[in-house]
Amino acid sequence: MLKKIIFFIFLFYILILLQTSFLIPLSISGIVPNLVLIVVILVNLFNRTSEISGLIVALIGGLYLDIFSMSFFGFFGFYTLISLIISLFLKFILKNYVKIPSLEKF
Amino acid sequence: MLKFSSKLKVGIIIIFLIVLLLVLNLTNFFKEIKNFFYLISSPFQKTLLTVGESTSDFLSGILEISTFKQQINNLYLKNQELTGEIVALKELKKENEALREALKIGLEKDFQLEAVNLVSKDISQDVILIDKGENDGISKGMPVITPQKVLLGTISEVYKNFSNVTLITNEKSSFDAKIVDKEIYGVAKGKGDLKLSLEFLPKDKTISSGDLIETSALGGVYPKGLLVGEIKEVKKSDVEPFQTAEISSAFSLKKLDILFVIKSF
Repeated sequence: MLKKIIFFIFLFYILILLQTSFLIPLSISGIVPNLVLIVVILVNLFNRTSEISGLIVALIGGLYLDIFSMSFFGFFGFYTLISLIISLFLKFILKNYVKIPSLEKF
Repeated sequence: MLKFSSKLKVGIIIIFLIVLLLVLNLTNFFKEIKNFFYLISSPFQKTLLTVGESTSDFLSGILEISTFKQQINNLYLKNQELTGEIVALKELKKENEALREALKIGLEKDFQLEAVNLVSKDISQDVILIDKGENDGISKGMPVITPQKVLLGTISEVYKNFSNVTLITNEKSSFDAKIVDKEIYGVAKGKGDLKLSLEFLPKDKTISSGDLIETSALGGVYPKGLLVGEIKEVKKSDVEPFQTAEISSAFSLKKLDILFVIKSF
């Protein structure tokens, strides 16, 4: 669990550096992909709904997004809340409306 | 029962987190954190930015090779045109100086400038980060321009060693602007995603695409005479009392490097 958290701290740092610097000149008509949010969504999609690690990943990603962006309305924590809500929402949908039998065996 | 308690735990943790964020937002704590993170990552960001620029140049060179020839031709023609204009303007300058001397009017003093570097662009678009802040005497509300005297935006947030610049294309930004050589005033409003529009233009005035737009001294936010952009399309409708125009901004985010903060004007 701790290993996972440290891995995601490093991964998100690299991704946020890329999306705030390297990808700007490569953007097409001013659109830069939000890599951190994409990874947060992917992790939560492929995570088991009972596990809490998806929420922790969402928290780390959201904090990074908050640090490297101008806070909305001067409020730090906007992205953190958004990514936590996304994580909870995905868990709710997957738990109640999606059943993938082949995955449950693992 | 066990499931319920774990759910409750998560709920309590999230509520605790929100309260913590709200309380800490009232203090200066997050500004220090942001400044710290910008300090350790700005060298990486600067290198990555230059690498990205060279990659983009390389890729666009391959993709646009067919249009280059035509562009070079166009630029050549434009260059000749401008050279002719410069000669005419030089004559005017001489005349102007002579008249000023005769009337004893000094030239307007230049702005007090501070050179800064672009560090990164905000994820939420239309905000950029520059590498000087409170320690260099930068404060909120100062205008930022490019070396070509094109208006870029205003300082919106200041940290110890860094500050945020809200571009004129940000949705929060609006200021008084004027069409060059015509006495037509309007309000330039940011539309987000690097788009800009000029609103509240009188209906009886004729405006054509290609007209240049500069800042006016009306609002007192920006010094007058800074280039804003070029009119792309004029929208006129019988229902609305004013006409509006779409502006293509004169700066390109891909080519920004050294910028200037106007400390006083």
